Amino acid sequence: MASLLKVDALTGVTTAGSISVTGEGNSTTTNLQQGLAKVWHHYNQSGTLATVDSFNVSSATDNGTGQTTTVYTNVLANDKYVVSGSHNLPSGNTASWLTGYDNSANFKTGQVTCSTFNAGSGRVDATKAMMSIHGSLA
Amino acid sequence: MASELRVNTLKDAAGNNSIATSFVAGGSAKAWINFDGTGTPAARDSLNHASITDNGTGDYTLALTSSMGNVNYACSGNNYGSVTVAANSRQFGSKTKATGSLRTAAGYDSTTVGGLTSYDSAGNDIHFMGDLA
Repeated sequence: MASLLKVDALTGVTTAGSISVTGEGNSTTTNLQQGLAKVWHHYNQSGTLATVDSFNVSSATDNGTGQTTTVYTNVLANDKYVVSGSHNLPSGNTASWLTGYDNSANFKTGQVTCSTFNAGSGRVDATKAMMSIHGSLA
Repeated sequence: MASELRVNTLKDAAGNNSIATSFVAGGSAKAWINFDGTGTPAARDSLNHASITDNGTGDYTLALTSSMGNVNYACSGNNYGSVTVAANSRQFGSKTKATGSLRTAAGYDSTTVGGLTSYDSAGNDIHFMGDLA
């Protein structure tokens, strides 16, 4: 029977921040909170930096060519979270590209700085840069 | 008291923002790992991660506690640290995918050497998206 639950918040019973969800194979369970992306950010670095769409992002800073800092609304619990991303091929570039976390000194609970590169030539501004984060919220 | 809720759809109390529970399960990362690949590789923080095997320079096998349902899952990642190169560009690669593990490569793109050079990265962030077994 189909069912519908209307609720504004989900909280674990035994531990508030831990809810178990049965996986697609109908046997193994995974942790709902730990599996959710805590931040995602789609931005355009061309010209004036602009956020296209986002989740849990309060602001973004242009630190120069191909270098953007994403600031979170709700901070992470520690600086041990994982971040990855990608971006499109900027006009005039012909090699491969990637988004990389830029510098360990900028890996903070409240923000991270990512860079966009053109392989073999250095940082470039991308029109479609995207990053996401998994980890624990504070 | 522990409890179990069986439901197909979630909405907010006003009846808006509907999402099927299949999207909640399917859209959640099934594993993520932040690990130090220098010396003896070690996880800093993780979800559903069992162990790391060091196969050589920039070459690691990450074992999962609960296996994925198939090898069609998506993995993405990023690595950083340990090496200073002109472009500061580093990459993550998937070498061998199995339901219970992923063999990954860490390297940097060098403007002088050309191509990808393997290295032991101090920071490696990897996400797994897909179906659990």
